[in-house]
Amino acid sequence: MKKFTLANFVQKMRDPKQRKFFFAIFGGKMIGLGMCFLIMFAFSLYLASPAKSHAQTTNTTDTSTNAAGAITNATTAITNAVAAATGTNAAPAAPAPPPDPPYVSPINTMWVLVTAFLVFFMQAGFMFLEAGFARERETINVLLEGIVDTCLCGVLFYCWGFAWMFGHGNGWIGWGDGNGHSWYFLQNLPDTYEATGVATLAIFLFQFAFADTCSTITSGAMLGRTGFWGDLWYSIGVSGFLYPIFGHWAWGPDGWLNGLKPAAFHDFAGSTVVHTIGGMIALAGAIVLGPRLGRKFKRDGGGPMPYHNMTVASVGAIILWFGWYGFNPGSTLSAMDIQGIARVAVNTTLAACTGGLGALLFVYPRSKKWDCGATVNGLLAGLVAITCPCYWVSPFGAMMLGFVAGVVVILATDLLEYLRIDDPCGAWPVHGACGVWGTWSLGLFATGQFGASTTTGADNSAGAVVKGLFYGGGFDQFKAQVIGNASIGIGVFIAAMILMYAVKATGTLRISKEGEEEGLDLHEHGGVAYPDTKL
Amino acid sequence: MKKIEAIIKPFKLDEVKQALTEIGVEGMTVTEVKGFGRQKGHTETFRGSEYAVDFIPKIQLGVVVADDLYDSVLETIIKTARTGKIGDGKIFVTELKDVIRIRTGETGVKAL
Repeated sequence: MKKFTLANFVQKMRDPKQRKFFFAIFGGKMIGLGMCFLIMFAFSLYLASPAKSHAQTTNTTDTSTNAAGAITNATTAITNAVAAATGTNAAPAAPAPPPDPPYVSPINTMWVLVTAFLVFFMQAGFMFLEAGFARERETINVLLEGIVDTCLCGVLFYCWGFAWMFGHGNGWIGWGDGNGHSWYFLQNLPDTYEATGVATLAIFLFQFAFADTCSTITSGAMLGRTGFWGDLWYSIGVSGFLYPIFGHWAWGPDGWLNGLKPAAFHDFAGSTVVHTIGGMIALAGAIVLGPRLGRKFKRDGGGPMPYHNMTVASVGAIILWFGWYGFNPGSTLSAMDIQGIARVAVNTTLAACTGGLGALLFVYPRSKKWDCGATVNGLLAGLVAITCPCYWVSPFGAMMLGFVAGVVVILATDLLEYLRIDDPCGAWPVHGACGVWGTWSLGLFATGQFGASTTTGADNSAGAVVKGLFYGGGFDQFKAQVIGNASIGIGVFIAAMILMYAVKATGTLRISKEGEEEGLDLHEHGGVAYPDTKL
Repeated sequence: MKKIEAIIKPFKLDEVKQALTEIGVEGMTVTEVKGFGRQKGHTETFRGSEYAVDFIPKIQLGVVVADDLYDSVLETIIKTARTGKIGDGKIFVTELKDVIRIRTGETGVKAL
């Protein structure tokens, strides 16, 4: 082909056929560009439309338009810019009337934001942990999957995830403020979320980080043989549908599990909502995918496939522990409940400590070796288990239930090995099995001294406290925990099996045999994790 | 005694090792190497651009056999390492002058 220079181009244009061809292509591109602008413009009109940005009345749950007003002003600016660019002029949306002063607590909002940043940092921990436990040939795939599922989760949670999970609606799903204004695309958000006194967008960020954690868990069981298209599809399914809907049951303002009698289901920071959901979806994925090529199980004379970088995996676990200091204490949503925050942080720490030691000591007799991988999973198991009961147990209780989690995770790993299910990171043993144990343990270890965090402090009144079996509370709380965990856990497992089979039906779930032998990194990502720069 | 050096695709290593131990081979040496033959290299991508990588990772499997085992070892390696696609590898055979076991000082076939 001739070089593309102005002289060559002008010469080409002398030919009428070439001229027609050029204008056809050029015209098509301009039409395409115009359509893109049109769609952006139309969407910004929808976001700024007056009918959606005015609340009719003020009421106790505060549907004031302050936040919506700010969003309106921003989108008006975009609308005007696009209008100027496309040569038309849309009338700007009318400014919102000044709202009644809502209670916005600066320190509570700051607390939620800072802990949201900590929870987000757990993504780095997950990337390290999973990459370390994977083989070298699929490392880039693991890392990129972690990054992309974070990006997808943010967008999906913005579009409808937050509305479904934290909006008012019915016991099964939410959508808005309960007065006819939907929260899709973060429209019509009140200044503060419910009675927390925390800016709603801060709550959104905090909960996005939680959703991100849940969707990352699933990749741990599915790495090494999942095609990237399949990764994208199931990530959309998890972040966009499974997590917000099943999570609403427990954490939505009108979720049906909040209304259980005589004791309501409690899940402080998400042993059920984040970890059991994540673990069950991971299990469904591992089952539908099948094991990696060449994987022989212990009962057939084989064993787990070797990791490729224990340094990175262990540091990743500690990074996760650090991030958990945002995950659990941040769930008080209140910087004013200082005793609560301190207690939660200490309980979190002690459960991780005994979880790690429990796994280490439990595994030692098998081979007389101090197993680093088992210890890593043990401390994570303790953290997962304490996530539900952290507010309501004593430090001693935290240590006990953490230790049990350290043993449970090893037994759960053995179980998967026996069932010939290939879970490279132990996602189900750590998050699924110990999420279940942690949720149940609230019904046993809750001391009956602690109730709930409020925006101004702790509410430890008689009506609010949670008491478990070992402290004289009877079986009521334990039953509520089992009901809540089982309904969400079993429900999401069935839904996840359907999701995974649906993705499998598109042919994108598992990569080809040649691709898996070549290695995912070369096949899907065009590179290797550790290029040899010398050659 | 013959020294057999087989350059094979890395994921075939477990299969070949298993098959060789089954027919009676008691030791082998494995090295990670890079190379190309007529397969040439492949292209990789980084930040939107492609670049060529000439050398492809392979495994070099070295095994020393007595003459009575020689044919079956060759046959086994060829059968298990073959995929039918380009890049399956090559086998080089050299005649060996002597083999010594360091621990005991045995030489010849007894040292294998």
